[in-house]
Amino acid sequence: MKKWLVLLLLPLVLVFTGCSSSNMSAIEEQDDGTRATYLKSNNSLLYSRLGIRDPKMTMAGDLMRAQATLENRWKFKLDFQYKVKWFNADGFEIAPEGRPWTTVVMPGRTQLNVQASAPNPTATRFEIWVQE
Amino acid sequence: MKKVWIFALLAVAMLSGCQSVQYGDATASETVNTDFGSTDLQMIAAKMVDDLLVFPPIVQITAQRRPIAFVDRIKNKTTEHIDLESVTDTIESKLINSGKFRFVDMSVVERVRQQLEYQRDSGMVDDQQAMVMGRQVGAEYMLYGNMSSIVKRDSSTKDVYYKFTLKLMHLETGIIEWSGEKEIRKSKSRGWIGL
Repeated sequence: MKKWLVLLLLPLVLVFTGCSSSNMSAIEEQDDGTRATYLKSNNSLLYSRLGIRDPKMTMAGDLMRAQATLENRWKFKLDFQYKVKWFNADGFEIAPEGRPWTTVVMPGRTQLNVQASAPNPTATRFEIWVQE
Repeated sequence: MKKVWIFALLAVAMLSGCQSVQYGDATASETVNTDFGSTDLQMIAAKMVDDLLVFPPIVQITAQRRPIAFVDRIKNKTTEHIDLESVTDTIESKLINSGKFRFVDMSVVERVRQQLEYQRDSGMVDDQQAMVMGRQVGAEYMLYGNMSSIVKRDSSTKDVYYKFTLKLMHLETGIIEWSGEKEIRKSKSRGWIGL
C-alpha cells in the first residue's frame, strides 16, 4: 500500500513544484556605482554574475544612442534575456512595451556589446534590465 | 483498493487545478516553436527603427522637418503564412512616435474618398466645415521590402533562418536612401526521448 502512496504522491510533488512561480524580490542597488545605475534585475543571482562596462551615450541628431558592454563574470555560460529601457528627464519610462526582451547565451568570461536608440528625443537616460 | 481510488481522484483534481489562464508580458521572449512569433516581430521592428533613425543621411533629412512616407507591402518569400502588415504597422507606429516621420495610409484611401464625397455631396455637412478634396499631401518616401527564410531539418533538429530587408526610397528620384536588414536564427532539437 505504501508503494501506491509513494507512486501517487511523487508526481503530485513534481507537478506542484513545476506550477509554482519563483517569487523574486527586487535586489538592493549595490555600491558599484556604474552597475547600479545602468544594470538592473529582479534576479539577484543573475545580477551578481553579470557586470557592465563602458556605458556610453551619444547623439544621432536629437536622438540618444546607448551602448554598454555586458560581461559574464561567471566561468559557466549564462542564458538570460535583456531589455533596454529608456527614461525621460522626469523619470518616466518611454514606450515601456517598445522593445522586446532579447535572449542571449554568453559563454563563461565573455563580453557582449548591447546597443539601442531612444524611441524619441525626450529620452535622457537608459537602463539595461536582465532576467532569466 | 478504495484508498487508491481516493488518491487517484485527488491527483486528477490537483492536476486540473494547475491549469489556469494568465496574462503575460507581451514583450517576453516567446519560444513555443520555430515559427515566426511575436518576439521576431518585435525584434525586427526595433532593429529597423533603430537603424533607420540613426543613419547619418536620415538624421540630416529629419533634422529640420518630418518627411512624409508611406508603407508599401512587404513581400513574404518564406513558406509560412506571416502577417507582415503587422510588422510594418509596428515600424510605422515607432517612426511616427519618434517624431521624425509622418505617414499617409494607402489602405484607407477609398474610405477617405467616400467620407469626403459624403461631406461634399450629401447636403448633411455644413459647407463651411466640410473637408475639401484635393488637399492631401503627397508622400515623399516609400518603405518597402521583403522577408525570406531558409529552413533545414534532419531527424532531430530544425533550423530556421529569417532575413527581413526594409528599404526607404525617395519617390521622385528613385534613390534608395536607406536599407536595413535583420537576421534571425532559430533552432529546435528533439530531446533524447523524442519529445
